[in-house]
Amino acid sequence: MAKEKEPRKPFNLKKEIKLLPGYIILILWVIFTIALLGWVFGASFSTTAEIFQGKALKFESGLHFENYAKAWNGAGVAGFFANSLLYSIVSCVILILVCAPAAYVLSRFDFIANKFIQTSFVSAMGVPAIMVVLPLFSFISGMGILNILPAARTTLIILYVGINVPYTTIFLLTFFSNISKTYEEAAAIDGCPPMRTFWKIMFPMAQSGIVTVTIFNFINIWNEYFLSLIFANSDKLKPVAPGLYGMINSMKYTGDWAGMFAAVIIVFLPTFILYIFLSEKIIGGVTGGIKG
Amino acid sequence: MKKNKTMIIAFLTPAVILFLGIFLYPIIRTVIMSFFTIEGVTDPMSKWTFSGIDNYVKLFNTSLFRTSFYNLFRIWLIGGLIVMTLSLLFAAILTSGIRFKKFFRAVIYMPNIVSAVALATMWLQYVYSPRFGLLKNFFEALHLDELAKIQWLDNDHKFMALLIAYCFGMVGYHMLIWTSGIERISPEFYEAATIDGANKVQQFRYMTLPLLKGVFKTNLTMWTVSSVGFFVWSQLFSTVTADTQTITPYVYMYMQIFGGGNTVTERNSGLGAAIGVVLSVCVVLVFTVCNKVLKDDDLEF
Repeated sequence: MAKEKEPRKPFNLKKEIKLLPGYIILILWVIFTIALLGWVFGASFSTTAEIFQGKALKFESGLHFENYAKAWNGAGVAGFFANSLLYSIVSCVILILVCAPAAYVLSRFDFIANKFIQTSFVSAMGVPAIMVVLPLFSFISGMGILNILPAARTTLIILYVGINVPYTTIFLLTFFSNISKTYEEAAAIDGCPPMRTFWKIMFPMAQSGIVTVTIFNFINIWNEYFLSLIFANSDKLKPVAPGLYGMINSMKYTGDWAGMFAAVIIVFLPTFILYIFLSEKIIGGVTGGIKG
Repeated sequence: MKKNKTMIIAFLTPAVILFLGIFLYPIIRTVIMSFFTIEGVTDPMSKWTFSGIDNYVKLFNTSLFRTSFYNLFRIWLIGGLIVMTLSLLFAAILTSGIRFKKFFRAVIYMPNIVSAVALATMWLQYVYSPRFGLLKNFFEALHLDELAKIQWLDNDHKFMALLIAYCFGMVGYHMLIWTSGIERISPEFYEAATIDGANKVQQFRYMTLPLLKGVFKTNLTMWTVSSVGFFVWSQLFSTVTADTQTITPYVYMYMQIFGGGNTVTERNSGLGAAIGVVLSVCVVLVFTVCNKVLKDDDLEF
């Protein structure tokens, strides 16, 4: 179906009129979405007084970039932002280094535990986080490392990695099974040992799958809330999601609505920008991961 | 073969160790914990006292937990109906051959990639705002003053407000699953049906829907898994600590184990573990019933 549509069909009024109800529904939804984001974006450059007078988008007193400066420095978004960046990037790299080899082995070799590991990983994707959080908390706080900054950061990264291992592995597994075996056979004939073959040949060939799953992991870890709230218990450790929650709570008392909207936009922008450039790749990957 | 063995072990070990440490061991321990009374989360096993199914009995005798469970059920059922209907409708429109398909699809899916905290704040502080809210201004512009006066965040409307905001974000994800299912149906089926004189609506009702049974199963499983973990939205929409309109089992667990203050009735981590087990059983139950009722092996395409 999709392939047949590639060449742009000439404009056919009769057909378009039949589709009109569909257009109207989608356009209304899109207008609402844009109004929602557009207003919040606009309000983040306004002042609290103007927002309350309903004149948020008139900008009578000009654009207030200082809302961003205040949120970034004063309310500590800079720290949360740096934390999130650190956690997401490091976790994404480790996830690939851990999961790509595992997925490759699972897709290529028959051994007793293979099916069992695959089933376990798929089931783990449906396990509610509440099932793992209590023993992990007990174990980690029992070690008394949540107050030592580098150790606590490492712990958080291990958690983010571990939680995403099943999804990443299963996603890459489908990807590796679609790559033909002839490449390895050729490499073996040329005398290349299997592990070298993986890193030199298969890993680069899986690049597009690795990029897609990394985008998903980045978005997931950037937006992760439940685990971060429980394990990142000091402001120095917090990533953006629980950080923003704390800020919103305190904004209720300071009454700085413009600053709050600026903070919302700062948290919202990184994944949104990623999405603007990569939406096709992301959308293609959503259903690719499920059908594993 | 021997070389392969070392490779299999070397390549699998890190992933399997992480899986054992972060999934398998904690899951087993949580199940065991749910049968014990445990005063502090960090207490060693020697301090646990076995209490059989007491924790489960206690949970379902606590009215706040029952409320939280009932809220979750409402979210799952009503929200599920809204999200499944809207997402299927959007998927049907998107695959009907309209223009700008990629643009529409991208905008509708967009809320899924945004931080839920940011999205929920936009709804709370803008859309539902009683002073400068989108809904208030919209209804005022249409002179629907009765509607404009609705306090979306008071106790009577809060649950509905929460549900609408949550569904708005979820529609895009399920729409993509439907779309991929519809696009896998061979166009020859539709050609044959068109030749036989079936119109678009008939084709959708008698061909697309029955062929989408398997995709519906995927959708329902995903919806159940994500609604069971309902937490952020609930926490942001609640104005008091134990808000009966918005509380869900996750929030209840968080309050009991990690929260402080006067809402904690009893320090017992076993209760928290039991909540986890109850929710997992729900997921498995939905999955099993779904597989029993919707057998899609008779339809191959």
